[in-house]
Amino acid sequence: MPNRRHFLAGLAASSLVPLRGWASVGAPDYLAAALFPDGSYRLAGLDTGGDILFALPLPARGHAAAAHPVNAQAVAFARRPGTFALVIDCATGTELTRLTAPEGRHFFGHGVFSPDGTRLFTTENDYEAGEGVIGIWNAADYRRLGEFPSGGIGPHDMRLMPDGQTLVIANGGIETHPDMGRTKLNLPTMQPRLSYLDLNGTVLEQVELPQALHKNSIRHLAVRQDGLVAFAMQWQGDKAQHPPLLGLHRRGEAPRLLSSPDAEQSTLQGYAGSIAFSGDGEAIAITCPRGNALHQFNVASGLLTGAFSLEDVCGLGPGPRGFVFTTGTGIVGELTSKVQISARPDCQWDNHLIPIRPAA
Amino acid sequence: MRFLAFALALTLPLSALAQDRGPILTATVNEHILPSFAALSDASGALAQAAQSDCTATSPDLRAAYHVAFDSWISVSHLRFGPSEVGDRAFALAFWPDTKGFTPKALSGLIAAEDDAVKSPDAFAETSIAGRGFFALEQMLYDTRFADQGSDTYRCDLIRAIATDIDRNAHAMDDDWASFATALTQPGENSPYRSGDEAMQELYKALVTGLEFTGDTRLGRPMGTFDRPRPNRAEARRSERSLRHVELSLIALRDLAAHLSADHPEIAADLDGAFDKAITRAQALNDPALAGVAEPQRRFRIEALQQSINDIRAIASTELGPTLGISAGFNSLDGD
Repeated sequence: MPNRRHFLAGLAASSLVPLRGWASVGAPDYLAAALFPDGSYRLAGLDTGGDILFALPLPARGHAAAAHPVNAQAVAFARRPGTFALVIDCATGTELTRLTAPEGRHFFGHGVFSPDGTRLFTTENDYEAGEGVIGIWNAADYRRLGEFPSGGIGPHDMRLMPDGQTLVIANGGIETHPDMGRTKLNLPTMQPRLSYLDLNGTVLEQVELPQALHKNSIRHLAVRQDGLVAFAMQWQGDKAQHPPLLGLHRRGEAPRLLSSPDAEQSTLQGYAGSIAFSGDGEAIAITCPRGNALHQFNVASGLLTGAFSLEDVCGLGPGPRGFVFTTGTGIVGELTSKVQISARPDCQWDNHLIPIRPAA
Repeated sequence: MRFLAFALALTLPLSALAQDRGPILTATVNEHILPSFAALSDASGALAQAAQSDCTATSPDLRAAYHVAFDSWISVSHLRFGPSEVGDRAFALAFWPDTKGFTPKALSGLIAAEDDAVKSPDAFAETSIAGRGFFALEQMLYDTRFADQGSDTYRCDLIRAIATDIDRNAHAMDDDWASFATALTQPGENSPYRSGDEAMQELYKALVTGLEFTGDTRLGRPMGTFDRPRPNRAEARRSERSLRHVELSLIALRDLAAHLSADHPEIAADLDGAFDKAITRAQALNDPALAGVAEPQRRFRIEALQQSINDIRAIASTELGPTLGISAGFNSLDGD
């Protein structure tokens, strides 16, 4: 974020809500949704050491969140096929407003702000058409401005590229309809894509995997400061196969798929939950809650550098010394050259750990 | 691999005491799985024969054979692993839900082009998966829009090709199960399942996803919402099989649940009671195509049936799952 002060000045003039910077809430490093022991679902602000700085109630199970680039505001998204997203003032613990998906749409659980903080983009399902859309919201008053096609079916994670003008979208390829719960409707014909769109919705590049991997749903993303995109996948095909669950892509090039040796790869049950680059950007890791594993690779060589056994691990983000991760058993930990448990609060951390600032 | 570091299992729970899963696995394979696939291949053989004898869409013998074979498929349709998943065989037998109308498009395409693929089973197996299987055959036999598309001769060839393709697929599954059976009953090095627990978990998943599909999709899809019911989306409504599929799948799942809970009589009784209630409700509906979703009074009874399936799901996940070493992981079960 080279132009932080510039954004701040611009926003102060336009925003309708009281502005507080992230420092005023005790500078959380990450956001994560969790189930707390009293049965409430909350969005928590965490520091690298695992201390919970705030924990704000959500109406139902959350999934991921988007942190405003400047203001201490976060948008917490419902787990699909939820239709709510809460805009939260992370300084006061209050709900500023609530986004409701328009008629015929539901959220997929991820979203991202424009670099100037004026717009919010959300991945959504146009479920009668069975097509993905990106919703556009005014981030000052959170009114809906419009939408454009996501470039595929089932858009899940979405990130802003370092140029600040391009969205990269994981179109997972799987069609679902809220009337049918989470049933997958099109596995024989699914075609996941990594789609690059500009902020007006123009498709700039579509990346597909070879046909033999058309059942490898591209779900989650991480972006390095130099524009290298990493994607995590979930295999919907024959369980006897253990295809790669991690890919790297640079605009204009072919994707590079990374896999562990079969002895390790075969334990992952074809499912990666989250993905992140290390703080220094030299390593990439995926969490695999079904295989109870965290696999770390060297980006340059593409080789596995560590396979760690961690029950129900899923949340993952860059850390000052490598990675920070969370588990469904409550652990907040750091992965440096080894795994260290920082804290174990009495809650179940949900899928994702969202860094508030890019660490790299 | 120089830097490969294997951390000690930091937080894995004490694994459940190793249990001998052998007897349950063997009984499930020999009594639940193998006879059902054998029945499917017998019925599909009879269907292919019937189509050869009389390919008229309205032929009573052909339609009867279609119903028997479709019944047998529904009774194994929850076993979506191993031989069923090879080369998308299960989808090639049953492409549903067809949310974008691919099946009628595929059929119209074949008919309009008079595609020669119908003359060779190998070639037909390479055509669109949506134009094959029971749902394609249903449209050819029951949908009036196909009653006069193209020539009589081509429609006849197409019906025969679909029936033969169903039979080939069903036989391939049945044949493969003869060898895959040992993968389940003898887990370990030569099996995709490393332990009896993993094999049990595969069967448990078949139970849970089978219940989910029947409740959320077979019923949920036509139910839509109260304000916008979708009776035209009911499964196999043209041949009035929608409710029958719910009933047949529950009967098959009840048998599987009984096998999986054989070591736990109390759980077995809970499950059986819940299945009994759901099946009784289904049998009392008298609404073969589930058209009642659009009428409040009849819809109420379909909602009650769906609720009774959800009740079975709750018992399976809270009572049966934990006995099988199923991780109750917050994230591992999330699927997102």
